[in-house]
Amino acid sequence: MKLINSLTLWYLAITTLVLLASGFIVFYRVQSGIENEVARRLKRDIDSAAQLLENGISVDSVRGMQMEVAELPFDAPLVEMQITDSMGYYSLPRRAVDRKFTVASSYKVGGKHFYISAYNFIAEPDEILEGILASLAATLILLMTFVWIASRLMSQRILSNFNQTLKTIQTFSLRQKHRIKLGNTRTHEFKELNQFLEKMTSKALDDYRSLKEFSENASHELQTPLSIIRGKLDLLLETNIDERQASLIEGIQNSVQKLSSVNQSLILLTKLENQEYPVSYKIDFSTLVENSISSFRELIEMKAIALTSQIQPGVKIDLNPVLADILLMNLISNAIRHNHVNGSITIALSSSGLIVSNTGDAPTVPTSELFKRFKKDKQSADSTGLGLAIVKQICDMNNFSISYEFIGAEHVLNINFLPVK
Amino acid sequence: MKVLIVEDNVDLARNIQDFLVREGYVCEWSATCSNALEKLSSFEYDCLVLDIMLPDGSGLSLVEHIKQQKIRTNVLIISAKNSLDDKIHGLDLGADDYLTKPFHLSELNARLKAIYRRNALDGDNTVSFNEIILNTVSLEARVNNTLLDLTKKEFDLLLYFLINKNRILTRQSLAEHLWGDYADNLANFDFVYQHVKNLRKKINAAQGKDYIGTVYGIGYKFDTNIS
Repeated sequence: MKLINSLTLWYLAITTLVLLASGFIVFYRVQSGIENEVARRLKRDIDSAAQLLENGISVDSVRGMQMEVAELPFDAPLVEMQITDSMGYYSLPRRAVDRKFTVASSYKVGGKHFYISAYNFIAEPDEILEGILASLAATLILLMTFVWIASRLMSQRILSNFNQTLKTIQTFSLRQKHRIKLGNTRTHEFKELNQFLEKMTSKALDDYRSLKEFSENASHELQTPLSIIRGKLDLLLETNIDERQASLIEGIQNSVQKLSSVNQSLILLTKLENQEYPVSYKIDFSTLVENSISSFRELIEMKAIALTSQIQPGVKIDLNPVLADILLMNLISNAIRHNHVNGSITIALSSSGLIVSNTGDAPTVPTSELFKRFKKDKQSADSTGLGLAIVKQICDMNNFSISYEFIGAEHVLNINFLPVK
Repeated sequence: MKVLIVEDNVDLARNIQDFLVREGYVCEWSATCSNALEKLSSFEYDCLVLDIMLPDGSGLSLVEHIKQQKIRTNVLIISAKNSLDDKIHGLDLGADDYLTKPFHLSELNARLKAIYRRNALDGDNTVSFNEIILNTVSLEARVNNTLLDLTKKEFDLLLYFLINKNRILTRQSLAEHLWGDYADNLANFDFVYQHVKNLRKKINAAQGKDYIGTVYGIGYKFDTNIS
């Protein structure tokens, strides 16, 4: 529900309650106001009638419209002023029943005892209530209409800046180059919100940028010295050295190589985490799998591994092509590396997923652990321990599910492109 | 061949220079873009070995400059960035090849020679030594005029040996040369041994001398001084 609608609804609900309550107050006030006024007037009437009788005016001329005069025995006790509220007939202009308000009292004047009563017809309570309710209802309808229209107009004015801010924030991306600029507003809360958002997004952009710069620079700063070491070792190899020195140099070379690939894998993981690979698009995964397999064919044959592949043609999935390549390279090279001579590899691709299984020694750590960085099986001391972490990261980024199981004597990696959420 | 190394790191530049000078190249060195521009305007070079991240700008801008000014030189980019975007961008701008750090100097040598062969005016596509002649376009290898039946990998291997004669080539550098990124993931270098063994066998069969020998058990050397 829109903010302005919910505010309006709350306002109207409260207004309705208040109007109802005030309706009752008005009703009682009006009711008692009318009664008091009528009683006061009738009292005055009978008082002045008594005055007239005292002055010697005849009873007949005092008696008249809505006034009765009766004579009581003189020794009867005085009747206290009494007010009765009843229903009564009247005949003019036509015969009808209405609420009749009567005030009566007795007076002893001029040696006689008169009982004088006067009455008037007044509005019945339900008539009053009806009138009040009708006017309140009219008020409510007017109020609703105006509030509804006015709130719409005002919200366009008052909330326009807020809506603008919302729109800007929705399109905000860490990868954008410029800082966000939110409009000016005089509303205190919105001003604070805008300032906070501007500060927060600037900070996020700065942090993201420095993180990116760091990973780029770290790559450069590490790769260059590694390159120097490697070059010096190449040169050293060509000086007069003996066999022992040569094998030491080879050891260093291999470690340099390892260091370099760990470094590159870490940088790749950082890039993946920073989502530096732009939104993927549909690629022909079947062809990519075929290509990857053929790049590895020689290495597979050299280890006398039997390869079975069931590639469903034309499988298209949403994936960045670079990442697809990295994913396949890691999966297939793992399947070769952790395999026996004369072992087997099965690669099955369907529109729902990719399954790579290979023979190999039973893992010494739980298979799910192997997705963690630098977690590796004892038998594969020479791997970087990052390959599966990269695979997992790529799968997570693209909402693929991945599982790794050791079934029978086979390592089975199963990637599901369309996991049930 | 005259080469200009544009690299801000003194040690790395010196490594490359050391290696290339002994290979018979004439080598000069610039540590900055501006210095390289100066040198390019006064001298001619066959090839530029160019780092991308330089203290006063990107090496890529230098590539652009070279192409705009139609300076006749080849460009080999050496970069710490192993990102595909950079690679494609660099090659799009007109660089001839792209090598990611850390690289083996013998690999750099092979790439430079390949660029030179491709782009040299006289267009000599053969690499030869004594009885061995390789044609790098038709990928034919002849020993004593007998055509060898080599696989693509074996041909690459033999070419690599001929380019880096009398140098110790470690199994690792051979593996990287033959398999590139794929070599990274493989545990041992047995497959290098397989390929070298097959190659030697095929050269032998064509009455060629056995120039390729193992060195200290860590690699191989194409020895021209073999009797």
